[in-house]
Amino acid sequence: MSAAKRVQQWATFARSWHIFDCKWQDPYESAHVIKKYLMGMHKPIYHPMNDCGDVVVCINSREIALRGDEWRKRAYFHHTGYPGGASWTLAWELHNKDPTMIIKKAVYRAMTGNLQRRHTMQRLFIYPGENVPEDVLQNVTNQIRQIRYVPKRLDHIPEEEVKNYPKVMEYPEDFVVK
Amino acid sequence: MAGLVRLGYSLAKKSILSTTTRVISTTNQLNIKEIRERTEGTNLVIEGVTLPSPRTELLVRPPNVTPPLPNIDLSLTKLPSSEKPPCYMCALGLDVKHTDVLILSQFVRSDGCMLPKRITGLCKRQQKKIGKMVSMAQKAGLMINLTPSNSKKDPTKRKDYKKFNTYFDETTIFKKREMRWTERFKFRANAK
Repeated sequence: MSAAKRVQQWATFARSWHIFDCKWQDPYESAHVIKKYLMGMHKPIYHPMNDCGDVVVCINSREIALRGDEWRKRAYFHHTGYPGGASWTLAWELHNKDPTMIIKKAVYRAMTGNLQRRHTMQRLFIYPGENVPEDVLQNVTNQIRQIRYVPKRLDHIPEEEVKNYPKVMEYPEDFVVK
Repeated sequence: MAGLVRLGYSLAKKSILSTTTRVISTTNQLNIKEIRERTEGTNLVIEGVTLPSPRTELLVRPPNVTPPLPNIDLSLTKLPSSEKPPCYMCALGLDVKHTDVLILSQFVRSDGCMLPKRITGLCKRQQKKIGKMVSMAQKAGLMINLTPSNSKKDPTKRKDYKKFNTYFDETTIFKKREMRWTERFKFRANAK
């Protein structure tokens, strides 16, 4: 067996750790990617009855991005079980209370509801910022590719680059630059 | 006939406004000019020089399209819409997203406001598309150095839902609003 194959086999049968940076990522899109690693669906030996899922560490969950007006339109429902115990929490309110909750619920909902789901969720670690405990970070061997590009702010681009960037629009002659 | 009406309208407008605004100008009154002073012997010469646009050298134009004529409004010419040349953005065929702030920032003033169509020289559709993408970039907090002075620059210091990261889907710009189920029901009830 070649060295590369041996590593591949080791990675398949071991419980390897992946890291995912949630910065500017849509949680509902990335949940479908994270789910595959958590359940082990990226492995050739995957079977629902075989416990081959990996561990995923999500960082920067405070900086997730929702599309359009989702922050104020998406509501999370909870019912206490008592009459009148229903409550609807908007996404931005939930994110204010717990910045890890939206991504957690998104991954939970992306998986099918069976007895395994709660155990699979135990393998998901979410951190609101970049501060990850050292004992967690030293296990990580792989990084999951982000789905969307992290947009660059205009004030973070150097002024020289903005000035020398190819221009599309030309001012008309009688224009006063404000 | 339309020209006569327009002439009459402009004459009437001028006769009303002439008391408050100056309508006659010997030079192009809005030109960007630099004032230079120099002495020739005993004479002091002061002249205003029209400055060249800083963008001219960096300008990108599609090769097969005639240079843009932003001063001439294409809608006034008598060409039917099929024979009109495409505007420069249509001809370039760029796939501009709302995150391409280096392109979008060319279409705004220093306060982040979209420039009007007569200045940008775009067609109606492109003007609408870029205007929407500018507002998307502003809402996402990507052009915070091009904002009015009283606005909250830092997106994380905005109120409520505005302080969190938001991205936008450009396909929604020209999407028609879908009829709600209840509205469709009303429509059918009226038809009968």
